[in-house]
Amino acid sequence: MVTPTPPPTTVARFTLRTLGYLPLTFFVWYFAAPALLYPAVLLVRAIAKLALRDIVRSVEQARATLTFMTALRPSGAVAGSVLTVDVDLLIYAYGLPLFAALTLAARERAWKRHLAIGYAVLMPCVALPALADFLKSVAITAGPAVASQTGFVAWQREAIAFAFQFGSLIVPAVVPAVLWVALHGRFLAASRHRGAASP
Amino acid sequence: MPAMSRFLTIFVLLLALAFGLELTPWAQAFVVTPWTDTVARVSGVLMRTFDASITTSGNVIGSSASPFAVAIEAGCNGVEATLVLVAAMLAFPAPWRHRLAGIAIGVATVQVLNVVRVVTLFYLGRWNERVFEWAHLYAWQALIMLDVLIVWVIWVKMAPSGTAQGSPRAAAA
Repeated sequence: MVTPTPPPTTVARFTLRTLGYLPLTFFVWYFAAPALLYPAVLLVRAIAKLALRDIVRSVEQARATLTFMTALRPSGAVAGSVLTVDVDLLIYAYGLPLFAALTLAARERAWKRHLAIGYAVLMPCVALPALADFLKSVAITAGPAVASQTGFVAWQREAIAFAFQFGSLIVPAVVPAVLWVALHGRFLAASRHRGAASP
Repeated sequence: MPAMSRFLTIFVLLLALAFGLELTPWAQAFVVTPWTDTVARVSGVLMRTFDASITTSGNVIGSSASPFAVAIEAGCNGVEATLVLVAAMLAFPAPWRHRLAGIAIGVATVQVLNVVRVVTLFYLGRWNERVFEWAHLYAWQALIMLDVLIVWVIWVKMAPSGTAQGSPRAAAA
């Protein structure tokens, strides 16, 4: 099948268009976050129910913040109290407006499909780091009195620490960019043909 | 293996390896911490050219005129962005000379923008804590990654044309 080649563009023009779209996509993302991130919330709830049922009683959403109601007792707490952990989903979701701005700036015919694919791929990339953030809080940050109730052994705590670091420092930033490259090979080729010596 | 899949596989493996190495105590002590302190020092030197009240100590930038201070931590020192760029340039099929030139210029570009991020965040934080949080946690994170992506795209464009064979670009064209 022959697909039409997108109009050639320069990197400078593409960069300016991306910078122009970013305020718009950030605006939409910030104010629509409770609805936009709902699939990620559902994913967090499903994983918590399947894999963390001994630790997590429920996961509540208030705007873009998740509150994990745990079955763990805080150290030095009064009888009957339980530990709750808040996680800000936006910290792991800024790749959404970045991906949207890049996709809109590329001006490909399939931009709607690319946005849909990006949204579907990025939801787990929000949910999993949020879960790693929660696990880091209960298994490491909350101290030994709480960590001992989770039942995690040393190697599991190491894995949680790595997952948290990778999930907070690498995944939210890199996945949108990598996904954009993977979906826009034709755009990259077209911009290359425009003139290799004049970016 | 198709060129795009090959590129992405090598990129992810290199990035995971580099990030794992970055987290080791040795790398933290001998590379990351000194690098982070250098970012703070360079930012401080730059800021003192127009603001004599700026002080630096380790990874902390403060001011004798204000109680506000910022500590440069992981994610704000430009190390992860640098690892991403280097992994992407190493994963892409290009002559080593082009790779090394790209890494040198690209890393410098990322670090210059990172210093701009640190300086702007310091003054945003002195002005308004809410705006600081927004810029710190969301906007600048996206801008730094956009910088990495644009530098990589320019570098790919400038790669000798023979290297397009077997590249993600050629596979997609």
